[in-house]
Amino acid sequence: MPEKKRYAMVIDIRRCIACHACTVACKAEMAVPLEVNATWLKIVEKGAFPDTRRFWLPRLCNNCTDAICARNCPTKATYKREDGIVMVDQHRCIGCKYCIASCPYDVRYINPLKNIVQKCYFCSHRVDAGLVPACVETCPTRAMVFGDKNDSKSEVAQLLASNATVVIKKEMQTDPQVFYISADETAMSNIEEEINYYTEGSLAKFRF
Amino acid sequence: MEHGDVNVVYSVEHQLPLVMYIGQYFFFTGLSAGSFVISVIATLLGRKEFKPVGKITALLAPALLIIAPLNLILDLEQPLRFWHLFLYYNWASPITYGSFLLTAYPVMGIIYAVMVYTNRQKAAKILGVMGIPLAVSVHGYTGFILALAKARALWNTAAMPTIFLVSAMVSGIGLVVIVAAVRWKWFDKEADEEQKATDKKVILQLSQIMAYVIMLDLFLILSDILVLLTAHADAFEAGMLLLTGNFAFLFVGVEIILGSFIPMLLVLGPKSRKSLTAAVIASILVNIGVYAMRFVMVIGGQTTPLS
Repeated sequence: MPEKKRYAMVIDIRRCIACHACTVACKAEMAVPLEVNATWLKIVEKGAFPDTRRFWLPRLCNNCTDAICARNCPTKATYKREDGIVMVDQHRCIGCKYCIASCPYDVRYINPLKNIVQKCYFCSHRVDAGLVPACVETCPTRAMVFGDKNDSKSEVAQLLASNATVVIKKEMQTDPQVFYISADETAMSNIEEEINYYTEGSLAKFRF
Repeated sequence: MEHGDVNVVYSVEHQLPLVMYIGQYFFFTGLSAGSFVISVIATLLGRKEFKPVGKITALLAPALLIIAPLNLILDLEQPLRFWHLFLYYNWASPITYGSFLLTAYPVMGIIYAVMVYTNRQKAAKILGVMGIPLAVSVHGYTGFILALAKARALWNTAAMPTIFLVSAMVSGIGLVVIVAAVRWKWFDKEADEEQKATDKKVILQLSQIMAYVIMLDLFLILSDILVLLTAHADAFEAGMLLLTGNFAFLFVGVEIILGSFIPMLLVLGPKSRKSLTAAVIASILVNIGVYAMRFVMVIGGQTTPLS
């Protein structure tokens, strides 16, 4: 009996050239408004001149197996598909934002045009049509690989079997399904940023 | 987290999800739960001198709890879809049990208030005893809302629901002292000298109880901060945010010193303990402190970066 499908993504950062094409493709495919991002590239700089280097990490929703957002959603607007993709029903979401507060990865956002919560769905509409997500399709160096992790013939399963992979914040017990090869530890951790949160950062959008 | 010479060149941060509407909601449910518990204690003791306090609080509790959920609905991105909470419930989510508790508790509170005002002592006592678990859970669950959002280190502690309950008691007693003192001073013309004296004594006693609850609150905050500082990196960051970071003024200055220590000294001090003015000032300070605590918890908890 074939196992159930379980979609996952492997991102090989040795191949990634930080071109931001995934960000652009995601914006275009999912009509993501300005100010928010479902996919983006985090870039950190390590060391002091002249011994410096940049490290980067493509970020998107981990579509966790044990998704805390789905567990905490009071209306079940956030739910998990059989194949593991975590969805948001845009007609059911009331915008309580509890999922955003619960998510350890900061990948959810409020769509300022639709006033509901959205995120990356692994381009479920494309996957259903037999295609791969827009970011994977567009990636010029094929650093992003998408597929069914339970199918041992798939590229994802083979990459997972033959490489050392890591996930972001494993300690959160969410079982993320986006795996990274050769990811930098500082890029994956929440280092204190230069931005002063109180005046410039997220609090600038603060509404009383 | 300490990482040597590291700069974040580019990353995306999304808007703070929970804003002060949520903090205000926590504040109002806290006041309501606190005053309901006091009202039931006054009713159960059944002593004549507690009657006025029991009556005021019986009215305050449902009134405040009608204001509180308005904050929640205003906070929604889609306020007109609030009914989805009842139609598409999810028992794994603390918000779902909250939405049912928030419907049941004001109804209970109104019936209880009617019983108290129509002097049906036995019915009031039964309803009161049944209502206490409801009042405790209507405020206790708000602590779980924060505690179960596991992304945020400041919230994700077992102490959170208890801290919220105890600070609710503190602010609730504070509000009752203020309202009872206002009534004593300006709206209680018929009472004779003797009645006035006992009323004042009850209010002062109440403010002293508040001081003891503040001590319990301070102990819980101390244990929470101590554990945060010795736990994992994110928790340490959260603890330092309160002690030395952007929220140090609100936490140490307003919540701990202005909202806890000064009221405690005012209420228990050898000279000021007999003064009603001191008790009222202490109660106002306590409420400012608890409001600051809601702000620090809700907003501060979200400001440590996640990625």
